[in-house]
Amino acid sequence: MIPVRCFTCGKVISPAWKEFKERRDAGEDPKQVLDDLGLERYCCRRMLLTHKEIVEDLNPYQ
Amino acid sequence: MDIAFAQLDERVAKFVLSGASPAFANTLRRAMISEVPTLAIEDVRIYDNTSVLFDEMLTHRLGLIPLKTDLRRYKPKDECTCEEGVCPVCTATYTLSVEGPGMVTSSDLIPQDPDAAPAEEKIPIIELARDQKIVLEAHAVVATGKEHAKWQPTVACGFKNYPVIVIDGNCDACGMCVDECPRGVLETEHGKVNVVEGRLELCSMCRLCEKACLAGGIGAEPAIHVSADESRFIFVVEGDGSMPVSEIIKRALQYIQTKSDDLVEVLTEITGEGADEEVSY
Repeated sequence: MIPVRCFTCGKVISPAWKEFKERRDAGEDPKQVLDDLGLERYCCRRMLLTHKEIVEDLNPYQ
Repeated sequence: MDIAFAQLDERVAKFVLSGASPAFANTLRRAMISEVPTLAIEDVRIYDNTSVLFDEMLTHRLGLIPLKTDLRRYKPKDECTCEEGVCPVCTATYTLSVEGPGMVTSSDLIPQDPDAAPAEEKIPIIELARDQKIVLEAHAVVATGKEHAKWQPTVACGFKNYPVIVIDGNCDACGMCVDECPRGVLETEHGKVNVVEGRLELCSMCRLCEKACLAGGIGAEPAIHVSADESRFIFVVEGDGSMPVSEIIKRALQYIQTKSDDLVEVLTEITGEGADEEVSY
């Protein structure tokens, strides 16, 4: 799961994940998406840029 | 001491504090971060959790959700008179009961007190697959950021000195400092280097312009000097939504006032009567 808040500054960044993922996968430039989502600081931007979702991979093993 | 606001919204405030010492500016910063109390989920009673996250990871995520806080309504636990530890004066209760498939968000967290609802509605808590289920009861209490970062009312909260840029008469307007400045603070106009109007506060005092000036062969001393005004500070305060930023600033200032009053009182007690005359404000 995407962390609720940015590790460094504490801004709540998780609501932006869904839109970021959809638009990035649609081929948009991540820079443009992050700017639109209002993530100004590079600490918050790296939270989304470097995230890897593994919840779905774990589901079969519950 | 003077405060001039450049921006004051619900979530973000930018202001210039002038006529203060660096120590006071830092006191204000620290008070805003760690001395203004907010609500955050502290205890969770889990009845059922068949999701992929462990109970403690789930509760950690719940704890980080910012909750709207009315401090006139809630008291810190140690100031509350209740004995069992859970009462409406010191605790806000939430229930969460969701069955998969689907995403559990902060809006599924049902507050008993609607005024203490999560500050944001779309915070994902956990993705549930088919036949997965979460049933829990959460208790939020009021505490300060000193204890845990989840009780901080601010996210990025900091200050920097007010920059002072002086350009000497021997400037030959070669424009190298203008090209070098990463914040676009400088410009060349009428054969002279100037600070662009309204962009001075963006200066990060990196002094790349001074280096560029020296590299341009002006001599041993650069023609541009960047320094910091030691009595003016540019503050940026960003709230997490639990309360308006103006209230955070107000409560932090109230805290500083109470603390310094307490100190004066203690000093009076130690030194005996008439100590007030010795303490100068």
